[in-house]
Amino acid sequence: MSEATGIGASVKRREDLRFITGSGTYTDDMNQPGQAYAVFLRSPYARAKIGAIDSSEAMAIEGVLAVYTGQDTAADGLGDIPCGWLVKSKDGSDMVAAPHPPLAVTQTNYVGEPYGIVIAESVAVAKQAAEAVTTEFTELNAVVDVASAAQSEQIHEGVVDNLAYDWELGEKAATEAALASAAHVTELDIINNRLIPNAIEPRAAIGCHDRVADHFTLYTTSQNPHLERLILSAFVKIAPEHKLRIVSPDVGGGFGSKIFVYAEETAVIWASKKVGRPVKWTAERGESFLADAHGRDHVTHAELGLDADGRFVALKVRTTANLGAYLSTFGAAVPTYLYGTLMAGQYKTPNIYVEVQGVYTNTAPVDAYRGAGRPEATYVVERLVETAARELGKDPTDLRRMNMIQPGDFPYETPVALVYDTGDYEASLDKALEHSDYQGIDARRVEARERGKRRGIGFACYIEACGLAPSQLAIQLGAGVGLYESGEVRMHPTGSVTVFTGSHSHGQGHETTFAQVVSTKLGVPFEDVEIVHGDTGRVEFGLGTYGSRSLAVGGSALVMASEKIIAKARIIAAHMMETEADNVTFADGVFSSSNQQVTIQEVAFAAYVPADYPEDLEPGLSEKAFYDPENFTYPAGTHVAEVEIDETTGVVELVNFVAVDDFGHIVNPMIVDGQVHGGVAQGVGQALLEHGIYDENGQLLTGSFMDYCMPRADDLPDFTVDTTVTPCTHNPLGVKGCGEAGAIGSPAAVMNAITDALGVKDISMPATSEKVWRALRRE
Amino acid sequence: MEQSGEFRIGSSREEVWRALNDPVVLAKCIDGCQSMEKLADDEFTAIVKAKIGPVSATFKASLKLTDLNPPESYSLNADVKGGPAGFGKGVADVTLIEDGDATVLRYGVSASVGGKLAQIGSRFIDAAARKMANDFFSAFQGELDPESVETAVDTVSADAGQSPPTAPAGQWKIWAVVFVALVIAFVLTI
Amino acid sequence: MKISITVNGRQHDVDLPQTNALLVDVLREQLHLTGTHVGCDTSQCGACTVHLEGRAVKSCAILAVQVDGQAITTIEGIGTPDDLHPMQAAFRDCHALQCGFCTPGMIMSAIDLVQNSDSLDNRAVREGLEGNICRCTGYHNIVKAVLQAQESM
Repeated sequence: MSEATGIGASVKRREDLRFITGSGTYTDDMNQPGQAYAVFLRSPYARAKIGAIDSSEAMAIEGVLAVYTGQDTAADGLGDIPCGWLVKSKDGSDMVAAPHPPLAVTQTNYVGEPYGIVIAESVAVAKQAAEAVTTEFTELNAVVDVASAAQSEQIHEGVVDNLAYDWELGEKAATEAALASAAHVTELDIINNRLIPNAIEPRAAIGCHDRVADHFTLYTTSQNPHLERLILSAFVKIAPEHKLRIVSPDVGGGFGSKIFVYAEETAVIWASKKVGRPVKWTAERGESFLADAHGRDHVTHAELGLDADGRFVALKVRTTANLGAYLSTFGAAVPTYLYGTLMAGQYKTPNIYVEVQGVYTNTAPVDAYRGAGRPEATYVVERLVETAARELGKDPTDLRRMNMIQPGDFPYETPVALVYDTGDYEASLDKALEHSDYQGIDARRVEARERGKRRGIGFACYIEACGLAPSQLAIQLGAGVGLYESGEVRMHPTGSVTVFTGSHSHGQGHETTFAQVVSTKLGVPFEDVEIVHGDTGRVEFGLGTYGSRSLAVGGSALVMASEKIIAKARIIAAHMMETEADNVTFADGVFSSSNQQVTIQEVAFAAYVPADYPEDLEPGLSEKAFYDPENFTYPAGTHVAEVEIDETTGVVELVNFVAVDDFGHIVNPMIVDGQVHGGVAQGVGQALLEHGIYDENGQLLTGSFMDYCMPRADDLPDFTVDTTVTPCTHNPLGVKGCGEAGAIGSPAAVMNAITDALGVKDISMPATSEKVWRALRRE
Repeated sequence: MEQSGEFRIGSSREEVWRALNDPVVLAKCIDGCQSMEKLADDEFTAIVKAKIGPVSATFKASLKLTDLNPPESYSLNADVKGGPAGFGKGVADVTLIEDGDATVLRYGVSASVGGKLAQIGSRFIDAAARKMANDFFSAFQGELDPESVETAVDTVSADAGQSPPTAPAGQWKIWAVVFVALVIAFVLTI
Repeated sequence: MKISITVNGRQHDVDLPQTNALLVDVLREQLHLTGTHVGCDTSQCGACTVHLEGRAVKSCAILAVQVDGQAITTIEGIGTPDDLHPMQAAFRDCHALQCGFCTPGMIMSAIDLVQNSDSLDNRAVREGLEGNICRCTGYHNIVKAVLQAQESM
């Protein structure tokens, strides 16, 4: 094993070769013999009763195979798409989950909701047929505004006040008392803007049914194929798990939006049996905008109480979270367990109380999007802290420092149910201040002013919780599945290794980093290790990739499996060297005892060709492990944004961005930096550009790349990215997860910089040039 | 959404009114008009093939006239459906005002659009709607007075729209204009 | 309707399924060159960028009949795993891709940008790639890769 491929090396990614040569295999690149094509019938109304559907004209078009509607899926006994997390309200009652049929049966509840599927010999014919279907809709009043949803017409039968739950966390009385006696209270009304994830690869699916074996295969763009199989089998009742295979090949980004089980994939695999043909569907971007789960969309009132010295004494947060028309797979958990629990941030705030009302609206379902709850929490805490510093005339970094949990305080139990295992928050802050030349900001302000620009600096000292865990606690709190990960390390007779992981890579680089981990652990060449993921037919089980969990949970499972390999190999090696296993040491792929050595490859051969072999030991060298973490991991860091605002146009330019993160140990620094870059870009997008807007009738106004503005290359500067290290205390790699941090810290940092430059208390995201221009003129 | 505007037509009010009630004339003036059917004296259906930016579809319109006051004014309630392309609905109030030898047609529309038309067509709707309206009035003028085609139209006021406080101003204007074009086309079909 | 096009140096006679077939559909569906991707339906994302007679174009915004008799180069035609184009090599070297979906279009645009510019700095690369959206990388490493490739092209 060369040093350049071990843990800690910036190994060039092995998956790149296929992507840079155009040889990747994404779902839409695949075709099945005899496949037909699907186009969905989608509601043009935000809320409407479905009346008669006349498909006779469509069926008469040559090449049309079938038109199915929600009536057909319902008649076939297809189950509802479930929400995977049960949240309980303050009074102990279960959340109210509105039924979510794969295809709407009697009523549509958001624009773009599918209520039928047209299957034809080509996409063109299917589209033509979809146009020929006439549907009688009776339009109903749509509920769109989050803040007033509870006072609006009831969307779902039995869901009073459109309220899915009214959840709380923390001590209300103590928090209110502490606020009442605080020397200073900072209040903010905060909107966390609705985002549309927009992975560049649109969702796609090919459903196949083998009539002879009665076996289904679904090729689809999923971040977690095993979870999809579990839900499609157990809840939707497509087929038993052993008759259902989900293959998630190369996937072009997910950012959360491809975690969930959606109507389209479900309908496609169901329809493949009905028509007796493979059925392919690839979303057009316009469909992705309407029907992919959106993110964020909170309205919040928050109060931070401080004592006379500036110490935080209490934080009270009241949030209304838009859940959309239905509860998506993790939709219920995002604004509660992934949000309220993060309100302590990096600080020793002794009293915290969070209440969250999750409301239904006639908009697309809202679920996890990069960061999922944690960017929203960080935004509340860090906007409040920065505002408090300004109100008290204190330096925002000093105020944070004074309140930070110190290295000696760990493990630190917060008032909102988490136990942070480790961290050194000031180390990240110090490094970030150095990189951002905080000392020089005043001079830069003066210089910018001479050019007609207002310069501002903003900070965000975030914490996040990654790798949701442990399973037992999560299930007690309402999770529908465990939160472990599986891994299998298969050493072949010739010593090469195939690794199977339940995590899924769609840009994260598992095929490289996981090979680094296993080759280092087993002491075999990096080139001899191959990673398999994304196929329920090949990988035993898995919970997929989300919540920055892959390395911390999935990587740990591979370490455990590797350790099992080494333990068995040690017994074989001892037998080969005619000694006891206790006398055998293992390092860099070699077992040693006194002056004898055997390589792990030689042991592997012996394991499969057991000519002279330990008694009572099974042949073979293949091991599995399920790793269930004992706690979350807690990446944390400081992000610093510096902006310049053009006084004439209101255009905000991000001129500098520094991210210093503590991700624990790092396996591949190059990949980690890349994850931070991408996360920051999405966070900056939220702060400056992106906003999913529905009009008051529930029509999506930002339904294309022309209207929903994502960062392009010229919207961003180069980023300065650095790390500090406090290893995670409870997983074997000491890693914490890095996928979401960039998106978590950056919105608050950017908005703190903009409000600093403008000298205003708040401006809502995205800080478009129009909003900023107006703010400049309100002075 | 509220929108209003006016067109000056070089013919007398009676002639304009008569032409407005001549399906043959109007069908010729609406580009893409495939059929018109009179269900009752005050109820019509029309089928128009239209393209607005990337949204191309056959729109089926149900129209109902109210407050008829010939030859001065009437109101039109329209419900336009384009299947997967989306829909529009609203009310147009049309007034004909004598202006010397000419007639000024003034309209006010209250309407909304939905579906794909709202989602991805909105960027193109402004231009498409202007073109539809101008094409109509050029053709209409040509039918009334073939020698005066060059004097036709175009004083559309696109800025008269009211922006409700909850919606972004730009979008409302765009929606308004497309519906003006569609509704005018249908209004004048009667 | 038939057209004749040269793709990656090889001539193809293509029978179009319909007259309004797009170039990207012909490349993907009929020639099975699936490296060219479709990421949007409004010619905004640039994932479908190919070279038409040596210049970058968005193949989702071009009718196949328009390119009859012309030469097209796709991502599959610029290098092989053993002999990468300098831009491909730089993308890998700089970790300028993550999910890989925008990558072919980004590389094709970047090659055109470098070939048709005298000397690019960071800002010029950013402005030159404005027509290609990447959701993964934040562009930082893409810019780095293009500047690096510029040196060896």
